[in-house]
Amino acid sequence: MQAIEYFEVECTEKLGGEYYRQITNDVLLDHNLLRVIHKIHIYIDPKIPIFVAVGILKKVTTLVRVGDIANVNPQEGKMTLAISDETYLAPMLKQFWDRFGKDHVDQPDRFTVILTGVEAGAKEIEEMVIADPSQALYKDLIYALRCICPEGFRVRSENYGAEKFSFVASEDMLTEDRLALVKEKFALMGETP
Amino acid sequence: MILVPITYRGGVYRHNEIIDLIEDLGGYIVQKHMIAQEVVLQCFVPKDDVELIRAIGKPLAGEVIDSPLVGTEIAVVSMSLEIHHLPHPSCDIAEYVRRLGAKSNMVGMARGVGKRIAGINDEERDVINEHDIAVYLLGNFEHCIEHKMPVLLRGIEVPVVLCGGPDKEVLQRIVEPKMDGYVGNVGRFMHRTKESEELTKLDEIVTEITRVLEKRREELAKDPLSVSPARLMDVIREQVPTILSVTSPTPLTVQMSGLRVKLPYDPFAEVLRKTEIEDGITIGDIADIEPSRMRDYIILKVRPFSETNTVI
Repeated sequence: MQAIEYFEVECTEKLGGEYYRQITNDVLLDHNLLRVIHKIHIYIDPKIPIFVAVGILKKVTTLVRVGDIANVNPQEGKMTLAISDETYLAPMLKQFWDRFGKDHVDQPDRFTVILTGVEAGAKEIEEMVIADPSQALYKDLIYALRCICPEGFRVRSENYGAEKFSFVASEDMLTEDRLALVKEKFALMGETP
Repeated sequence: MILVPITYRGGVYRHNEIIDLIEDLGGYIVQKHMIAQEVVLQCFVPKDDVELIRAIGKPLAGEVIDSPLVGTEIAVVSMSLEIHHLPHPSCDIAEYVRRLGAKSNMVGMARGVGKRIAGINDEERDVINEHDIAVYLLGNFEHCIEHKMPVLLRGIEVPVVLCGGPDKEVLQRIVEPKMDGYVGNVGRFMHRTKESEELTKLDEIVTEITRVLEKRREELAKDPLSVSPARLMDVIREQVPTILSVTSPTPLTVQMSGLRVKLPYDPFAEVLRKTEIEDGITIGDIADIEPSRMRDYIILKVRPFSETNTVI
């Protein structure tokens, strides 16, 4: 929780709100999202019924490049990559295959990749973009919000992009009022939608 | 002879002596678990002989624990089988009562979620009614619980213990019709129950279940059953050998006033009906044999003395 600057759960029932604060914390922690959320405000009114979650994300970290996960050692006629983080190994290999062809890419063991007869220089290889973590981020975030939100609230409206997100859910049909509600909750955090 | 439910926990070495002892004393073994070097026996034994079993088990590193939930089948009713309710808290509670000897089944509702949209269908209702007690696990909002509980209790005849987020007093006030037991501050949560106060809550649920079941036992004692379900289990095990090849963990599940037999109804109902217990009295004479709503099992309900005029 320490990483979030603003974390509020507003609820018409006091005890219910406390439980939902705990649930929100648990779910965000489980999905590793606490470190990417800057501000979050949740509003629940079981009488209407409605669930609103609005928030701001931190600037998403930059793209992952080969240099971030491997040490590139140029040798004569080949280039040896010592992998330090396996997380993005698969997308990296895929990029190499697409660009150089499978004949030129060899992986003798788990932490070593050897590129033979490639024209690119070490610097160029290091700069190759292999993944964009922000793409999966919004997907994870919406999934997490669906876990937090009461299960019966199946009519949903989700908006995200440009480091901001809003999520409105209800059991009944959503009305146009929700836009005003989202705006109001953003205002509580000192932001605009 | 009054039989009391106990759990014997001890080493594998010479555990057969304990089994023989329990059987010789006229007790029944409901479930036997062999876990690595340990044996856990859930059984009914004569009240006066508990100390004897304790004394004989002592040199074998065995301990005897009172387990009031042995011989009961509990339905843990979860509002859905989604990530919102599983594995916490539904599984935590189902697992906890299982440790104390109960046979717990999880009933996940098709449309139990929400406030206005919550509902129960006939299959869910019948399955819940086949158990000794139902433990309803609800959410955190009193407004929703108040609104949906009357619907979810439609047609439920077994005692119900309600667990929900609001305080116990609030639950008692808002829920209509009144239920047999309430446990407050156990609503929806998304983490494992491992803190001491959470474990205390689980104990509270067990205490509440035990209290409700004790009340039910007292009611049963006023008009005793024609035969003890544990004895019926032994009879079936001896005379219907097919049951021994059933791979379910509990092919014969003992309930407070009946038995669930995990054999298909059509071919075996008649066999069970004609199975003799003693002196020409068959199971069909003293129990109702019906198809269960759970798979194609058989549910056997023992009739009370007032209906059959027999006690064996």
